Amino acid sequence: MYDVVDYVLNTTFNLGAAGWVVSLISYLMIATVLFLVAPLQMLFLTYYERRLIARMQDRVGPNRVGPEGMFQPVADAVKMFTKEDIIPAAADKWVHLLAPLVVVAPTMFMFAVLPWGPGMTPIDMHIGLLFFFAVSSISAVGLMMAGWASYNKFSLLGAMRAVAQMVSYEIPAMLSLLAIVMITGSLSIVDIVQWQGGLFISSSDVAGVPNWGLGWFVFNPVGFLAFAAFFIAALAEGERTPFDIPEADSEIVAGYMTEYSGMKFGLFFLAQYVLNFLLCAITAVIFFGAWQGPGVNELYALGITPDNPDGNGWFNVLAGVLGAFYFLFKTYAFFFVMVWIRGAFPRLRVDQLMDFGWKYLIPLTLVNVFSAAIWVGFNNWGANEGFGFAEPLGDLGRWAVAFVLTLAINIAAYIVMTRIYGETRRVTFDEQLADTAGLPS
Amino acid sequence: MELLIQIIFFLLAALILGAGVMVVAVRNIIHSALWLIGSFFGVGALYLLLEAEFLAVVQVLVYVGAVSILILFAIMLTRDVSGQGERLLFQRWWLALLVAITLFAAVITPTLLAQSWNVVPPTGPIEPGQPTGIAGALELGRGFVHEFLLHFEIAGVLLLVALIGAIVIAFEERNRRRKVLTLAEEHELRKRREQTSDANASESALSAPGHPISQSE
Amino acid sequence: MINAVPLEWVLTVSAALFCIGLFGALSRRNMVGILMGVELMLNSVNINLVAFWRYLEPRFITGQTFALFVITVAAAEAAVGLAMIIAIYRNWATVNADDVDSMKG
Repeated sequence: MYDVVDYVLNTTFNLGAAGWVVSLISYLMIATVLFLVAPLQMLFLTYYERRLIARMQDRVGPNRVGPEGMFQPVADAVKMFTKEDIIPAAADKWVHLLAPLVVVAPTMFMFAVLPWGPGMTPIDMHIGLLFFFAVSSISAVGLMMAGWASYNKFSLLGAMRAVAQMVSYEIPAMLSLLAIVMITGSLSIVDIVQWQGGLFISSSDVAGVPNWGLGWFVFNPVGFLAFAAFFIAALAEGERTPFDIPEADSEIVAGYMTEYSGMKFGLFFLAQYVLNFLLCAITAVIFFGAWQGPGVNELYALGITPDNPDGNGWFNVLAGVLGAFYFLFKTYAFFFVMVWIRGAFPRLRVDQLMDFGWKYLIPLTLVNVFSAAIWVGFNNWGANEGFGFAEPLGDLGRWAVAFVLTLAINIAAYIVMTRIYGETRRVTFDEQLADTAGLPS
Repeated sequence: MELLIQIIFFLLAALILGAGVMVVAVRNIIHSALWLIGSFFGVGALYLLLEAEFLAVVQVLVYVGAVSILILFAIMLTRDVSGQGERLLFQRWWLALLVAITLFAAVITPTLLAQSWNVVPPTGPIEPGQPTGIAGALELGRGFVHEFLLHFEIAGVLLLVALIGAIVIAFEERNRRRKVLTLAEEHELRKRREQTSDANASESALSAPGHPISQSE
Repeated sequence: MINAVPLEWVLTVSAALFCIGLFGALSRRNMVGILMGVELMLNSVNINLVAFWRYLEPRFITGQTFALFVITVAAAEAAVGLAMIIAIYRNWATVNADDVDSMKG
């Protein structure tokens, strides 16, 4: 982008713009595009989800507005815009106004590090992954503000539930990512995607594996367990069913959104769907190689790259389109799974949710970090780090040993944890009644 | 370029200090906490301006994402949010003001007048083959497992101690908890009471003194 | 940054923030308010550490490391402090520091 803007300004129009002006203009253009993409994703995802869930429940779903109901989200948006904006008399006006903004803004920031294709990451930060999750944790503040400012017990309850859930599920999510970061040795999202070339075996682990762009992390035991834990945590972060207790409409109306109407409600809705999109996207990025897939690397190698400045720019475009297609395909596939889960599972109770996060996911992901250490030791470390005994095995042999070892550890951890968690005595309703009401059980 | 950075710096300084003043001046403690978040955010942006990327992100993650949430939770778990009709400050708040202003003057005078800070920072690569002269996340991580290993472990132990300590301090024993019945429990209780009254068990546990429902009826 | 903004300016901001935090910690009656003042002070210390690191020796990590340890300590302090406030609230039904005076003679 920088090069294109530089070329247009300084070569075509000969303006002699300074470097930072060019940077500013190019980043502004990228930001504009991303700000357009986010609401479009939301519009598409609402339609997608409603049609899917309708199909799963043996209904038709929205099919009146436009061909196959395609314009239903647009109609909804128009309705949202024209509705009256109501602020409760007892509400804290400024905080009530600011809360939706604080919830929406972070979701927009998170687009900054999302890789859409080869060479198509808006900003390649050294700490992109950490940035993504740091920014996502800001929206918890917005939820708290919304819940408190509405002056409504359902809002406050919903906000408390939402924040407690987000804060506790951030830990297993981070721990499962830690395993991946240990393997790549980098927090940069571009590096993480680059690592996942290969064919079921990452070519970064074993040299000489054909690079078909299929060496995704989910194909090794460490990555698979991390993926499972992360996806469950992502469901909780995005407040999807089975973890949608913050806005459980049969219990607490609509949670923190109860007192919002019109465009402010629209902003919450936008934030929620954009966040869901981002969580699916980051799952695809970290565990399924983002834009990696057959053909992208080959096309990109023919285009203009730092290594190959004489390439043909059209190959960049082709690689970008193919990469973006793979990326969006994976992302929507995960969103499909989210909708599927919503169609299949009932909602958890608050205490079950907390139990599951703290007593099951966290120990499991901790074991996974241990497995990741073994994986790194066998695959990436040499005699200097004390893994000289593994060197005679050769690259593939070391990979195989690491695979078997981590698989055994992870399966054992899964079995043991599931048994322990399954045998934990739950408080029954009678006991709880005896506890709160002082009854003999 | 320099002007742009100066403008950004002044905006950030205004955000940090303005939000800081609001934290101590606002009556409503929730608003105070929200201003505090604003101040944290400004400090994070200042780190970004100072090219400490990793610290900026950690600042947002720890302060904005965790500490402020903790503070908001603590405020909501304790009553009296609005602080109406109460004194905001201690009686001798002017003494505190005096101390703060004196300290500021005492610190800032030698900083601005008696000391020259025109030090040219050493540039050049940290290690051969490294492009920039600024330590980033990679060097930080390496430092944590080499020169600062002991400090790192002590910090870990400190966090563990704080975790356990917070749980122990805030733990509420089951039998001291305020008793609020859920709808389902109330319903079940009424049903059982009818059953017991049918059986003419007048001295059932339900009518034990101190029971919330038996008291109300 | 280091060419455009002299170190003194950053230090001034940090000193001012420290004094604001000190005033808050010394004068607010609400215990959560006191804790917030302390958090402001810790933040200002961090600004100082990072500024000195950036201006004086950006090639070494000592400044950043110290700032990270300060953040760790601040997080631990917030957790324990807030737990204490909740425990005090449960026993005294107050969050004002001067109402908790049962140790006074």
